[in-house]
Amino acid sequence: MDSLKVRDLCKTYIINKRQNNVLKNINMEIKQGEMVAVMGPSGSGKSTLLYTVSGMDHITAGKVDFFGRDMSSLNARQMSDLRLDEMGFIFQQMYMLKNLSIYDNIVLPAYQSKSGRNRAKRKEINNRAKELMHKLGISEIAEHDINEVSGGQLQRACICRSLINHPKMIFADEPTGALNQQNSKEVMKELNRINAEGTTVMLVTHDMKVAAKNDRVLYIEDGNIKGEYVLGKFTDKQETRERERKISNWLMEMGF
Amino acid sequence: MFFRILKKDLKRKKTMNIILLLFIILAAMFLSSSVDNLVAVNGAIDHFISISKTPDFFAVALTDGITDEIADFLKGNENVEEYEVINGFNLTNEDITITKCQEEEGRTKYERTNVLHLGAVPENFMKVFRMDGGSLSLKSGEIAFLKAEAEQNHLQVGDRVSIKVGEVEQEFTIAAIVKDAVFGSTMMGFKRALITEEDLEKFARQDGLVHTRIYNVNYADKEKFKEQWAEQGFMVISTIEGRSTIRMCYIMDMLIAAILIIVSVCLILLAFLVLRFTIVFTLQEDYKEIGIMKAIGMKDAGIKGLYLIKYLAISIIGAVIGFFLGFPFGKAILKQAIVNILVDSTEQNVAINFACAAAVVFIVLLFCYLSTNKLKKISAMEAIRNGSNGERYQVKNHLKLWKRPKMKPYFYMAVNDILSSLKRFGILLATFCLGTILILLPLSAASTLKSDGIIYSFSISPSDVYMDTGRWETYIVDMDLLFQDMEEIEEKLKENGLTAKTGADIGYMIPCYADDPKDKVTYYVLQAVGSWDRHYALLSGQEPELSNEVMITELTAKELRVGIGDTIHFGTGDEAKEFIITGTYQSMMNMGQGFRVSRSAELEKEYAAGIFCLQAEIEEMESEEACERLREIFPDYKVMNAEGILDSMIGGIVEQIDLTTIFIVGTVLMINSLITILMMKTIMTKERGDIALLKSIGFSDKSLLAWQTARILLILAAAIGIGTVLSNVLAPFTIGPIFSMMGATSIELVTNTWEAIAGYPVLLFLVTGVSSLFCAGGVRKVDLKEVNNIE
Repeated sequence: MDSLKVRDLCKTYIINKRQNNVLKNINMEIKQGEMVAVMGPSGSGKSTLLYTVSGMDHITAGKVDFFGRDMSSLNARQMSDLRLDEMGFIFQQMYMLKNLSIYDNIVLPAYQSKSGRNRAKRKEINNRAKELMHKLGISEIAEHDINEVSGGQLQRACICRSLINHPKMIFADEPTGALNQQNSKEVMKELNRINAEGTTVMLVTHDMKVAAKNDRVLYIEDGNIKGEYVLGKFTDKQETRERERKISNWLMEMGF
Repeated sequence: MFFRILKKDLKRKKTMNIILLLFIILAAMFLSSSVDNLVAVNGAIDHFISISKTPDFFAVALTDGITDEIADFLKGNENVEEYEVINGFNLTNEDITITKCQEEEGRTKYERTNVLHLGAVPENFMKVFRMDGGSLSLKSGEIAFLKAEAEQNHLQVGDRVSIKVGEVEQEFTIAAIVKDAVFGSTMMGFKRALITEEDLEKFARQDGLVHTRIYNVNYADKEKFKEQWAEQGFMVISTIEGRSTIRMCYIMDMLIAAILIIVSVCLILLAFLVLRFTIVFTLQEDYKEIGIMKAIGMKDAGIKGLYLIKYLAISIIGAVIGFFLGFPFGKAILKQAIVNILVDSTEQNVAINFACAAAVVFIVLLFCYLSTNKLKKISAMEAIRNGSNGERYQVKNHLKLWKRPKMKPYFYMAVNDILSSLKRFGILLATFCLGTILILLPLSAASTLKSDGIIYSFSISPSDVYMDTGRWETYIVDMDLLFQDMEEIEEKLKENGLTAKTGADIGYMIPCYADDPKDKVTYYVLQAVGSWDRHYALLSGQEPELSNEVMITELTAKELRVGIGDTIHFGTGDEAKEFIITGTYQSMMNMGQGFRVSRSAELEKEYAAGIFCLQAEIEEMESEEACERLREIFPDYKVMNAEGILDSMIGGIVEQIDLTTIFIVGTVLMINSLITILMMKTIMTKERGDIALLKSIGFSDKSLLAWQTARILLILAAAIGIGTVLSNVLAPFTIGPIFSMMGATSIELVTNTWEAIAGYPVLLFLVTGVSSLFCAGGVRKVDLKEVNNIE
C-alpha cells in the first residue's frame, strides 16, 4: 500500500505580482515502510514538496493521498487529527515550546490526542516517553529547559516528540542540517531504527551521507522530480561508503 | 541610514506602533483632563462659595413678620461687620401646585422631600446663578427653582406653578433653573424657590402669617459674636457656622468627582503600565536585530538613539492628539461629576493640559531610556540569543504536565505560561485587579446605603409605615396639630379594623454646653413622641429613660469632650437644664451632630425646629400590606415603607453612586477589553512560531483558542479574587471615613453578595472572555510555515 501518493502537484507563489511556480506537476509514491530522501539544489522546491505533501502547506493544484485518503477533502479539524495521530514532523531547527521542559514537550502531543485524555492511557504515554528517551539516550535531560541541552540532544528530543503518538509516517526537513557529524550519525541511526520498525520516513537533505541511509533518493530541480535512485534497505556500516559513492555518481549525472 | 531603519521599523511593526500610539494618546488625554479637573474641582467649590457671597454665619428662624428680635440684635452690633435678613415663607405641599407643564396641561401635585423656602432674589448674600454661570434677575410673575427641585418635579423653564401663601395665590412662570452655593448641595435639606421682592411683598402684606427668615452675618469679631449669640438663646430652626460647613455639605458631590478622578488616575497608571510592557516587549522582539547591529559594529548610543528617536516621534504625535482630545473629554467628565457646583471654564487651564501632555512625552522617553539601558549590558551574542546568556538560577518550569494527569494540555499550557512569565502577565493581573476594586468600592458604598440596617444610622427605629402629611411646617408652629393628626390616624385605622400605634420625632434647636456656659453651641435634639414606644440603636451605654437623661452622637461627644456619665446643659441662663449622658449613637442626620432625649424629658416648645418621621406600627401586618392599606385609607398622605423614607432622604446620593458605578463598570469593561485585545495581540505576535509548531504537531484551532483564552480568564479569575479581598480590606479606609464625615462613625459596610460575587464578575468574564476569544481567533490565521519564525 502507498503511504503517500502524489498526482500532478503544483505549488505557485505570487511575489510582486509575478507568478513563481515552485512545484510543477509532481507525481510520486512512497510505499508503506519505505524511507525516501529528497535532494536537490537550494531553491529547487525540496522543502516546499515536503510541506505540501504533509499538509503543512496548501497546494495550488493536484492531489495528495495519505494512506488512501485525499488530504484536500479533509477539513481543518480532520487535518489536525491527522497530524496529531498519524504524522510526525522533524524540523531542521529544533523547535520546542520554551516554557515547557524537554519531557513535557515530548508528551504534549500524546496528551492532546483523544486517547491521551484517558488517565490510564497517560500512564502508558509516560512509559512510552521514557522508553523513547532511553532508546535515544536523552533520559537524563528530561526535566531540563530547552536552552540547557545540546543541538543533538534537542533534535533527538524532537524525534521522540514526533514518535510519541506512533505515527504512520515521519516527515523530516533537513533533520541533521544543524548538527555536527557525530550528532548527525546518531539522529540518522534513530531514523533508520524507526523505519526498521515499520514507520514510513520522508526526509529532505543536502547531505549525501544522510541520503545514503535511505531506501530511495529523489532528485528535484526547478520544481520537477528529475530522477530517482533506488538504493534498497540500509543494513550495516560497511555498506554506507558504497551507497554514498553510488549516490554521488548519480547526483553528478543529474548535474548536482 | 537611521531614518531608513526607523521608517522600515514603523512600517514592519505597524500593529505594535499603533497600540503604543493609542496608549500614549489615552495617557495624555486622561492625564491632562484629570489633572485639569482636579485643579478645577478643588478650586470650584471655594470659588462658588466666594462669588455667591456665603456669610460667615447664618441662622433660619420663624417670626410673625412684625417683631424680629434677631434683626434687632444684629442691628448696630459692633461684633457684626455686615448682615442681611432674607424674608420668605416655608411652603407646605398644599401651598404649591404645578399648573402647566410644557408637555401636559392640568394641575399636578408638587413633590418635595426637602424644606422649600420661598424668598426674594438675594442681592447681597447667598447669591444664586443660572446654570451657565450668569447672574439671576427676575421680572414680576417669574420664579426660579434650584436644579434638584426642578429635576424632582420634571420642571423646565417656561412651565408654570401656582403658589398660595395665606389667602393670596399667584401663578408664576419658571424663568430659570439655578445653582445655589449654600443650599444646592445634595446633603442640604433646605431648598429655595426665588421670586421678585415685589411679588414676595404681595404675600407678606397679609397679617398672621409665619415668616421664615434667613439671617446672614459676617463677623467683625467671631469669638465675641458667638459668645453673644449663645447668650441670647434665640429660638431658631437652624444655624450654620462658617464656609467650611457649607463646603463639607458638598462631600457627596465631591465624592463623585473624587471617584471619577481616582478612575482617571487609575487609567493613567494602566496606560503607563501597558506602555512599559509594549516598550520592553518591542525591545525583546528586536533583540536579534540589536545583536546583529552590535555584531557589525554599531555603537550602543547609536542603537539607543534609534529607539529614542522612534519613541520620541510616536510620543509627540500621541501627546499632541491626547492634548486636544483632553479638552472635550475633561469637560464631559467634569459635567457628570459636579452638577451642583459652578465651575470656571477649563479654557483657562491650557497650560495644565500642555504640561501634562509634555510630561507624558518625558515619561515615555524616560521609560524608553531606562529600558534600553539593558542594551549596554548584553553582548552581541546574548542579544542574538534573545537576551539569554545560557545561565539560569531558578527552576523555570513551575508545573509538570505528566504530574497532572487530569489537566487538559491547553489548560496546563495556560497555567504554565502564566507562572513562567509572571512579570508579563502581572500587568494584566494588576489591571484586572484594579478594575475589580474600582467597581467593588462604590458598589459597597451603594449597598451599604441601600441596606436594611442603614435606617439605624439615621437614628430611626424601623417601623411598618412612614407617613408624610405635608404639614411639617405647620406642626412646628402648632405642635398640638401633630398630636391631633397622630390620634386621628390611629382612630381612622381602628375604624378600618387595624390596630396601630403612631409616633414621630420632634427636633429642637437648643443651645447646649458641657461645663462653661460661654462655650454654648446650638445642637439638634431629638425627642420621640406618640403612643408607639420605640427603641434606637446605640454604639455604647443605654437609651435615656428618665427625664434628665440624654444620649449623644459620637461626633458631638468628641466635639464637646464628654462621655457617658457626664453632664450636659440645654438652654440659656438660669433656665438651663442638666442632662446626664447615658449612651452614644451615630446619625447621618445633621452631619452626625446631635442628641436624643427620653420621652419624658421636658423641652421648651419654642425651640422646636422640625418634625421628623411620622411612623406607624400596624399589628399583625407586614410592611408592604400595611403601606397598601394606608394608601387607600389616607389618599392625601404620602405613605412609604423603610425603603421609601430612605430614598427620600438619601435617594439622590444613592442614585448618584449608582450612576457613578455604572460609569465605572463601563470604563472598566472597556479598559479590560482594550487591554486584553492589546496584550493578546502583542503576545500572539511573539508566539506565532509557537502556535505554528503546536499546529504542526496536531493541535486544533479550537485547542489553541482555548489555550489563549484560558490564560486571560485565569488571570481575570485570580484578579477578581484578589480584588475582592483587597476591596474588603480597603473599604474601611476609603468608604469608612466618608460615612464618618456624614455622621455614621461606626457603620458596618455591606456587600451585596449577588452583585459582588456573581453579577459583576460574570459581566467581567463575559466581556473579557468575548474580547479574548475575538483576539484568539487570530490563531486561525497563523500559517504552519511560520514555525520557522520560532525564536
